[in-house]
Amino acid sequence: PRDFSPQFISSVSGESALPSNLRLPPNLIGVAPQKRASPSGSDLPVLRRCEADIPAHLAPAQTWLESLGSRDSEPLGVVDLHPDVFSVPLRLDILHAVEVWQRNFKRISHAKVKSRAEVSGGGRKPWNQKGSGRARHGSIRSPLWRGGGVAHGPRGPSSYYYMLPMKVRVQGLKIALTAKLAQDYLHIVDSLEIPTPDPHYLLDLVKHRQWGDSILIVDVGDEFPQNILKATEDMKTVNIIPAIGLNVHSMLKHESLVLTLEAVKFLEKKLLWHDVRYVPLYPFKLPYSDLP
Amino acid sequence: MSVFGGVFRQSSARLFSTVLLLSHAGTCARTRMHAVPKLRELDRWTEKRGVFGVYDNIGILGDFKAHPKDLIRGPVWLRGFSGNELQRLIRKKRMVGGRMLTEDKHSLDKRISFLYRRFNRYGKHR
Repeated sequence: PRDFSPQFISSVSGESALPSNLRLPPNLIGVAPQKRASPSGSDLPVLRRCEADIPAHLAPAQTWLESLGSRDSEPLGVVDLHPDVFSVPLRLDILHAVEVWQRNFKRISHAKVKSRAEVSGGGRKPWNQKGSGRARHGSIRSPLWRGGGVAHGPRGPSSYYYMLPMKVRVQGLKIALTAKLAQDYLHIVDSLEIPTPDPHYLLDLVKHRQWGDSILIVDVGDEFPQNILKATEDMKTVNIIPAIGLNVHSMLKHESLVLTLEAVKFLEKKLLWHDVRYVPLYPFKLPYSDLP
Repeated sequence: MSVFGGVFRQSSARLFSTVLLLSHAGTCARTRMHAVPKLRELDRWTEKRGVFGVYDNIGILGDFKAHPKDLIRGPVWLRGFSGNELQRLIRKKRMVGGRMLTEDKHSLDKRISFLYRRFNRYGKHR
């Protein structure tokens, strides 16, 4: 929650509220950023309407359209966002499932230990079955012995691959976008042109507008303006990705999300198609006559 | 009559004991604060951690030309595949067995026959 400030009730009145052995996490949001005015009651024009049809019972979500040109520039206008992408019910379980999937489906664990058959040696019976007085053994590399193989250890490189249904992954993206918009962490920008390739300019802008600690900038296409590429090159917490690379984990890791208008149009088109498509008869990567 | 009286006396004693337990505040476990180990100092914003997960939705956002399983870096027989140990070893033998070293191939064959016998001949699941 953004308005969180640590409030501790102390039994002794008059003392300072924080106990001495308190350890606060470094990412604790102590100071709530000032809330911006809602764009619904403003005079600025609506600069972008949704291309797709909006259902009659829903109203488009609205945000400011900003510019990265100068630090103190005012919002240029208001932008309409499709409610079926930016105002879906917030299913945290789907978000969790998609995040866990992203962590695990690529995981290949290389842990492997030798079993008793693979450890060198141990083919001969160490002593006779009967007569020596010692316990009976068949090989010196059995799991009972020191230096012997492991009975049920991790075996070989193993993979944790699985796929969630396509619509679940799509819904996860929609929920993440909705959450960013609802918590005021989404910013729409007309284009990524900045005046200087200096990283300090971006940091200053972000701090002035109180956008947060980490920014994820998303734009469509292969070409990005050189200035912003140079500025974000050495910055750890400000990352720029193409719109194809958008995913739930990055959205949750970075505190705020900056989309361009083309990125919004691209995402709406891609994510809304799954609501109206037919069940695939064969994988979508094979050609369909009506798909581009 | 006396049986019922005994039962009631027992239940009321139990009631009192639970009430006493509920009113006891605090815990008996003593945590040794000076021996608690420090957390590992991790940089959460390295190159790898900062861009983890990018392109995971390359199928749904990129016209289905690529699949997320193409992103997995690892042994050839494990990309986009999951199975139990026997299934993994059989797949490894089919895909890579021709170019394995002799001792590794021998251990692989031995392990496959051992697992085949274990899964299909002994135990409850066969």
